[in-house]
Amino acid sequence: MQANRYLMRATMYGVGFANVYDTYLSPQEYVGTDFRISRETMRITKLFDGNVSVQNFFQANISYTHNKVDNNNTFAGLVNWNYGLHYQFRITDNFKLLAGGLADLNGGFVYNLRNTNNPASARAYINLDASGMAIWHLKIKNYPIVLRYQANIPVIGVMFSPNYGQSYYEIFTLGNSSGVVQFTSLHNQPSIRQILSVDCPIGSSKVRFSYLWDMQQSRVNQIETHTYGHVFMVGFVQDLYRIRNKKGTPLPSAIRVY
Amino acid sequence: MINYKDRKGSKKDRAIRKLTLLIPIILLLFIASSCIREDEYANNPQGNLDALWTIIDEKYCFLEYKEINWDSIYTVYQKRLTTSMSSEDLFEVLGDMLTELKDGHVNLYSASNVARYWSWYEDYPRNFNESIIEDYLGTDYRIAGGAKYKILDDNVGYVYYESFSDAIGNGNLDEILQYMAICNGIIIDVRNNGGGNLSNSTTFAARFTNEKILTGYIRHKTGKGHNDFSDPVAIYLEPSSSIRWQKKVIVLTNRHAYSATNNFVNSMRYLPQVTILGDKTGGGSGMPFSSELPNGWSVRFSASPYFDAEMNQIEFGIDPDIKVDMLSSDEDKGIDTMIEAARTLLKN
Repeated sequence: MQANRYLMRATMYGVGFANVYDTYLSPQEYVGTDFRISRETMRITKLFDGNVSVQNFFQANISYTHNKVDNNNTFAGLVNWNYGLHYQFRITDNFKLLAGGLADLNGGFVYNLRNTNNPASARAYINLDASGMAIWHLKIKNYPIVLRYQANIPVIGVMFSPNYGQSYYEIFTLGNSSGVVQFTSLHNQPSIRQILSVDCPIGSSKVRFSYLWDMQQSRVNQIETHTYGHVFMVGFVQDLYRIRNKKGTPLPSAIRVY
Repeated sequence: MINYKDRKGSKKDRAIRKLTLLIPIILLLFIASSCIREDEYANNPQGNLDALWTIIDEKYCFLEYKEINWDSIYTVYQKRLTTSMSSEDLFEVLGDMLTELKDGHVNLYSASNVARYWSWYEDYPRNFNESIIEDYLGTDYRIAGGAKYKILDDNVGYVYYESFSDAIGNGNLDEILQYMAICNGIIIDVRNNGGGNLSNSTTFAARFTNEKILTGYIRHKTGKGHNDFSDPVAIYLEPSSSIRWQKKVIVLTNRHAYSATNNFVNSMRYLPQVTILGDKTGGGSGMPFSSELPNGWSVRFSASPYFDAEMNQIEFGIDPDIKVDMLSSDEDKGIDTMIEAARTLLKN
């Protein structure tokens, strides 16, 4: 048995509050509901004597939001993929701190249902995140639970944004893409994703409840945007052991899935 | 099992752990203090006027070109506000304020009304009579995409395109031009075409050039200042790879040819076999954007200006090559003076 072959996998479904703001479309913040799914895997690697873990986190959300007097709506969606490494500081047997970095890829849209020539705004940005995590295994009256807090902060990246008063027609039909990809860092993209989760064993399964605070902000080309999500999620956690089959020997037919 | 001593680790380890904790805390504090939020305006007459004034001040693209003193306009219209005024009265004040921009692309939309500036055609001869057009087309005309077309009895092709919002695809244009191949020339009537999709304008015009030609420039605002504009970007008309018309073309225009139609006329006038005949176009060279007020009213405004190939503004219209007005004496007889002038020109 090898530590690097243990895999934690969690699939989550959530709903929560959304606040979407994009001055390219409207000077107002739109608020409404966020629907989200996520899938995460984590495992220990062989790096640094087995003290480094790899995390693969994918999430997708869609929100439906309304302006202040509720006479107009927007749809917004974002797909986000994080992949990176954490060094694990094992403080005690039950408590550890993780610090590392993640590649953070994002693509999505905001669609304003009433606007005419500027109905939508694309979201596309890539970041290198600083990431920290605390994991605490504890028992409440002999009931074992796992608490986790994670924060990811984009430190450096690039972002697509139209220029201040530029139409997408000028960018994509006339081909003027000058200045539409900008360098980003903490000064113009102060964003953070935070997850607080608790894993509870129920029977032979492990159920995870989590609260995700997703705060994406930017001030690029004098266009201000934010997407705030406060999402409560629930799902199952699976602990898996990966078996390597180098020779490609077929499994016995009695246990083959297909 | 890790004993206490091991857990405590070396001085270096402890420093790393402290740093590991400290950096996220500093970053968290920085992020927490860097919220990007909206500039809130109250949903009352003053707040709505301020929001509208700011949108135009920061995003409207013709304030300098039209020599509009937007600060003094604020003072004038702010005086007309009262705290107890009705929604309809506020709509009138804000609509009047926008009229100062003299722009057909500027509108304020409430649930009950649309504030607009239409003097660009209402103050001029109409130069168009729909019932006479129907007489010319008869009942056996053909329709392809947004175009109605027919070969007139003197072997002149006539195409009436009433809105660039109606799509016209390459398949449609192939059929129209093939059908008209036997004609001596064609008339493209875009009178009363209030505009629509710029792509339709370009697709149509591409059938009348054999070369890539410069037709204009576009700029966009790069910031909130009245003069914050990007460098001009050249716009070229590229020849269609499908059927292209090689004979004479006359484009009929009036003051109600606006926006994407203005753009179409601008492209066509640079083509050697094309003549623009009729009245000056209505203009409308600013690509409009939308925004909104705290009370939910939507506002539309010109955001990104188009220029002709000499970098002249075409916001107030394009002069025809040959000025022709409808004669009321002809109109009384069911004759369209402009179509007849075009037919005569095509025969010579």
